[in-house]
Amino acid sequence: MNIKESRWLPPLPFFFGSPVLLWQLFFFYLPLLLLTLSSILTFSPLGNFEGLTLDRLLLFLQPVYAKVILSSLLLALSNALICFFIGYPIAYFLAFKAKKMKPLFLFFLIVPFWINFLLHVYAWFFVLEKEGFLNWLLLSLGIMDQPIPFLNSLFAILLMMVYYYLPFMILPLYSSLEQFNIQLIEASQDLGAKGWQTLLYILLPLSKGGIMAGFFLVFIPSFGEFAIPELMGGDKWLFVGNVVSQYILSETEGALGAAFTLVSALALLLAALLLYKGLNFLLKPKGEHA
Amino acid sequence: MLKKTASYIGIPLFYLFLYLPISVLLLFSFNSEGFPSPWKGFTLKWYEELFRSPFLWEAFGNSLIVASFSTFICLSLGLFLIYYATQGGKVKRFLLLFYGNLVIPETVLGVSLLGFFSFFSIPLGLITLIFAHTVLGLGVTLPILYARYEELDLKLTEASSVLGATPVQTFFKVTLPLMFPTAITTALLVFILSFDDFVLSYFCAGSTAQTLSLYILSMIRSGISPVINALSAILLTLSSLLVLTFFSIKTRKRIL
Repeated sequence: MNIKESRWLPPLPFFFGSPVLLWQLFFFYLPLLLLTLSSILTFSPLGNFEGLTLDRLLLFLQPVYAKVILSSLLLALSNALICFFIGYPIAYFLAFKAKKMKPLFLFFLIVPFWINFLLHVYAWFFVLEKEGFLNWLLLSLGIMDQPIPFLNSLFAILLMMVYYYLPFMILPLYSSLEQFNIQLIEASQDLGAKGWQTLLYILLPLSKGGIMAGFFLVFIPSFGEFAIPELMGGDKWLFVGNVVSQYILSETEGALGAAFTLVSALALLLAALLLYKGLNFLLKPKGEHA
Repeated sequence: MLKKTASYIGIPLFYLFLYLPISVLLLFSFNSEGFPSPWKGFTLKWYEELFRSPFLWEAFGNSLIVASFSTFICLSLGLFLIYYATQGGKVKRFLLLFYGNLVIPETVLGVSLLGFFSFFSIPLGLITLIFAHTVLGLGVTLPILYARYEELDLKLTEASSVLGATPVQTFFKVTLPLMFPTAITTALLVFILSFDDFVLSYFCAGSTAQTLSLYILSMIRSGISPVINALSAILLTLSSLLVLTFFSIKTRKRIL
């Protein structure tokens, strides 16, 4: 059999491509479809189909629920922004300044990334507790005479979020900056651009891919986060994840939980689209200024 | 000059921020007194207590089983797809179908899978956890495997078939060995994703199967105990070893 013949054969082994597609269809798309259906269909107590309803979805447009969704979006956005402002200089350093030490710096960036997420939460718990390490340190150094309750505050929630999600921002930024042609920076400086001009007109627009990836890798999962608000915020603030998990674990409210999940997922989709447009607009190469 | 000092201060500060909580945690896993006490003396008793706990070992075992099976399934499904690609299958357009797995918030995925399992009355447990984690794993497996496949030099596979190898022989003797390092790093990534996963496990584990993440959650909820510190120390060592393996296989630049 020569090559031509083997190319000529119809792609018969679709059989080999199909398992993964079936798996995906069955365990990803079907559950999402069921989620949608179960939040808009009604059944009689005996399980007979009764009809369509949008009531459950509309219920969640009430201010109480809308507030939960909005505060989740705000939390996710502030997390992404803080991660970006801390992460960009770090990624810049790793890509251009770390030189020979780069593998070492990368290694120490990734190790904590691979530890169980809950242990990070526990570690900060340990540090921020009223009788924890930070208060002990501040008290014994004589900086204060009263322990500060760091936990159960928005500060603790946001600190934990930033801590955990920073690598998700830094790694894509790093890989896009790493492919960046450093001569472009030199050229811009030779032509008399100030530092901020190079940053704004050259560096940021040309690392757009990494910035986008970083923003979405942080923004989307932090929207549904529920362990951090619960453990660091002491249930004082409600976010989407907390409401969903309460509904789901109550068992009788399953349909409402599904509906709330659907509504918040749609809100997230909309917000992500807006974020995408916004970033695209901000990072557009500004040719006319150059 | 200003920039230099900024990076001399900023970078150490960043790494301090990254490692301070973990180091404090590790240090106090050796403290001879229980939690609200400052440093009293060195002890290994928390480690002993940890190793005596039967729940820990059960949870650890469960996490290992779930992570191994989901890694195995993801990798086999992925390699099947690569074989299909070597036979001229147009795989690229399928990949679009898998972008959602990583983009969707895990909470939404967890809730939909829970509804799905109860709809088909599949009892929650290790099996459902494995299913859930494969969904997450496929999201990373397929793009990475396919990217590596596209880099391969097609002349090698052509040479192999010109010399009379069957497609299966070509796949096992040429394509697979060339993809081996990528397959291993992908497997490591999927394994650790599953092993450390919390959200999907929270929704899909049911009441009987406890994974390490869920065990840690229940420990944290019941308050601070140096036993968790000891557990963190061990897991930190394990994951550093895994990252080292990952790095030594993938000495190239690209990390994720």
